[in-house]
Amino acid sequence: MKTSVNSTFLNRTFPMGMLLSFSVVVYLSLATTVVQAELKSTQQSGTVSFSGQHAGMNFQGKFERWQATLNLPPQSNPQIIATFYMNSAKTGDSIYDSTLPEFDWFDVENHALGTFVSTKIEITEEGYQVLGDLTIKNITQPVSFTLTDSQDKLSTRFGINRLDYKIGWESDPDADWVSKTISISMVINK
Amino acid sequence: MTTSIQRYHSLSIVLHWAIALALLFMFASGLYMVNADISKADQYRLFQIHKASGVLVLWVLILRIGTRIATRSPALPDALNQQQVFKAKLGHIFLYMALVTMPLSGWLMVSASPFGLPTFVFVDWINWPHIPGVARNKSIETLANNVHWITATALGTLIAGHVSAVVWHNKKHHINLISRMWWNKK
Repeated sequence: MKTSVNSTFLNRTFPMGMLLSFSVVVYLSLATTVVQAELKSTQQSGTVSFSGQHAGMNFQGKFERWQATLNLPPQSNPQIIATFYMNSAKTGDSIYDSTLPEFDWFDVENHALGTFVSTKIEITEEGYQVLGDLTIKNITQPVSFTLTDSQDKLSTRFGINRLDYKIGWESDPDADWVSKTISISMVINK
Repeated sequence: MTTSIQRYHSLSIVLHWAIALALLFMFASGLYMVNADISKADQYRLFQIHKASGVLVLWVLILRIGTRIATRSPALPDALNQQQVFKAKLGHIFLYMALVTMPLSGWLMVSASPFGLPTFVFVDWINWPHIPGVARNKSIETLANNVHWITATALGTLIAGHVSAVVWHNKKHHINLISRMWWNKK
């Protein structure tokens, strides 16, 4: 008897349809907080940059044209795919910018695109641990990095050995002038 | 009937001394950038300056040779005997050959270098092109490098001989040859 009174009271105060709608809204908002939808990003909404040392001087550059698609866990089949146009790499230094497209460096004539395709993405405390294949000059090497997830952006920074991709292979194989390790940074605004 | 002239054309005089100053810089920078114990950054910058200056020297040389051909040159003093005249002319031919070989061998070296670095002539909008067909050719780079150094040594010797001849003729025969290459009346 008591139950039916309460039930009647609830039905009067919060009609069943309203309760159902409310629950759906709450569920959906929670779900979107946890499961992000597919994120597409380009140079308009983020930055892919690289840095290293030449002749003991720091240099930094960025890809002015790239695109990435991120499907992050807990979505099913999480994956990150990024494509960057090698001839869009600019440092602001005319000598570097004239040299980078050449055969021994990025060889943009024969290899216009660089790609990253993830093979595994795991959720971590900071964000995600990403494993994947980075292809430059048609050479694919495994890389791993932490993709830090902050409120408004995803970011990472990791190093590659340029010689693994035959970048500057003929010119400077002993890294007398250009550092072997080149840092790659990516920031994607959500 | 042509009147005899006492000195070279003013443009030749300007170019002669400009090249003399430029060569001092090229020798000094070339030797310093290769031998001095300096940072990689300074070495790199000096290489770029040396390359850009070499392009300018090449153009000044072309202008100098053009002016030399297009204008009248003063006759050598009568006091010089036939053998001395022959030696002077031969010396000048070798001087010009060495002068032209220097920037050309440098240009070839830069063009064949595996680094492939461009040569901006002090401003970003003058990108001096590489000689086509030799890119990343280490054999040609080595050859050009050797020619550059051997010619530099020869040019240094020729310049020393050139200056010594002027001084020697002045001391020994009181012939003021330098007046041919300046604006003095005598």
